[in-house]
Amino acid sequence: MSTTKWNVTFKIFRKKGEEAPHYDDFKLEVDPDEYVLDGVERIWAFHDRSLTYRHACHHSTCGACGMRVNGTEKLTCITPIRDVTQDGGVIRVDPLRNFTLISDLAVDMGTLYTRMDKVGQHSVNSDAKEAYQIENRPAGPAEEGVDFIRLSDCIECGLCISACPISASSPDYLGPAVLAGAHQHGIRGDEQVFRLADSEDGVWRCHSAFECTAVCPSFVDPGERIMDLRRQVIAEQFRRLFSGSNAKKTNVMEASK
Amino acid sequence: MNNTLYGPKSNEGAWLWFIKAVTGLLVIVILFIHLIVNHFVATNGLLSYADVVRYYQNPIIPIMEIGLVGFAVSHSLIGLRGIILDLKPTRAFIGVINWLFTIIGVGAVVYGIWLIFAIVSKGTGS
Amino acid sequence: MSEVSNQSPVSRALKWFDPRAHSINMIGFILNRITALGLTLYLFLHLFVLHQLAQGSAAYDGFLSMIHNPIFTFFEVLVVTAGFMHGLNGIRIALNSFGVGIRSQKMLLILLLGIAVLVSLAFAVHMFTV
Repeated sequence: MSTTKWNVTFKIFRKKGEEAPHYDDFKLEVDPDEYVLDGVERIWAFHDRSLTYRHACHHSTCGACGMRVNGTEKLTCITPIRDVTQDGGVIRVDPLRNFTLISDLAVDMGTLYTRMDKVGQHSVNSDAKEAYQIENRPAGPAEEGVDFIRLSDCIECGLCISACPISASSPDYLGPAVLAGAHQHGIRGDEQVFRLADSEDGVWRCHSAFECTAVCPSFVDPGERIMDLRRQVIAEQFRRLFSGSNAKKTNVMEASK
Repeated sequence: MNNTLYGPKSNEGAWLWFIKAVTGLLVIVILFIHLIVNHFVATNGLLSYADVVRYYQNPIIPIMEIGLVGFAVSHSLIGLRGIILDLKPTRAFIGVINWLFTIIGVGAVVYGIWLIFAIVSKGTGS
Repeated sequence: MSEVSNQSPVSRALKWFDPRAHSINMIGFILNRITALGLTLYLFLHLFVLHQLAQGSAAYDGFLSMIHNPIFTFFEVLVVTAGFMHGLNGIRIALNSFGVGIRSQKMLLILLLGIAVLVSLAFAVHMFTV
């Protein structure tokens, strides 16, 4: 770390309960190689204990610290201050778009996690039976010579959903992260996931804006995955049309509560 | 939190998207020809009435123009329906839109075909 | 996501057209949507106006002389610009749908919009000088 110090103003979005949203300014002396999250934490620790925000791992693995920095979605733990402002400048921090706001910079990520469950990407604390079955969560490659694909880098940070223009207008759109999860899980062996992907809230709402891929901090490339998923759905539809078979109900996930 | 299971919604999303893509490509091709003839072949940038009637006597042209009307109207209405769906309308609302757009679409194409035949017939001394 | 659903359809739709706090890819999305709406309007107007053709030579040629002025020509150029932008953007999206050109998104967008602008200029020059 260098010994340079910058004077930076953090403009933090605040909203508690039913009050009108506003910005609070905090002037901090920071090392420009520190991260935006470090600044937010210092504000909470030394300036305003009522500030609500999320953080955990501090190294882009957990996906908890997603926020908008000067309007753009970022993982604040890996966003150096030097990248978003200069000495004497302003850093505006807002919560993610297209999620229900809980308080200040924290949003309700529940819908995202529930939807990830529905496309076969279970979280460890999921209520779904499958999540607890050891054999469904192999520690190594399922087949000899096949690369083991984990949760394909997606850390469920929600940045893609915040950036997506369709998530902005349709609350029921599954969103890029979920469709990327469905792509990962595969639609051919799972009718439920196929129907979710093929639905009006699935791949057909995507209009190739590619905002999701632009903000993903984790190389998931949801945009490309949705393009591929669309091709798979079309191919499957053609296949069913010409083979005359109805939906193959293999491996149907149980109805969620 | 919304606990409803995602049941399959109307299953036509895939086909409509596919038709939109195909009609889009077809429109590009035919429209290009349509533009060249209408603006670059004519001496003053726009075909006169007599030019148009003469142009329509070649049997390829009415076929091409009927195609253009059909593809352009389909692409446009399917696209517009998609934009409305992006706003998550109620099932009832999109049901009305489906009917409305079908009527408008069929109506526009029928009208277009009628008009094309009317123009062709002007040149056969009717 | 319930905060989104509390907003009216109009305010939700307006969010599509705000390019702030988005990457350059968003420009492609916005332009495609605006040109789609504009071209749809033009399509039905065009079909309606062509009714004049069925009325015979006097009606149609009279109509032509009415629109042979700079203001109408300007709108025609606008329509052609919209058509090329929407068409070329559509080709970009079709290519993306087949997995082509996804890495080169931004470059492709700029290139195709550039072509649309150039073609429109050429069309404008032609229409204003004949």
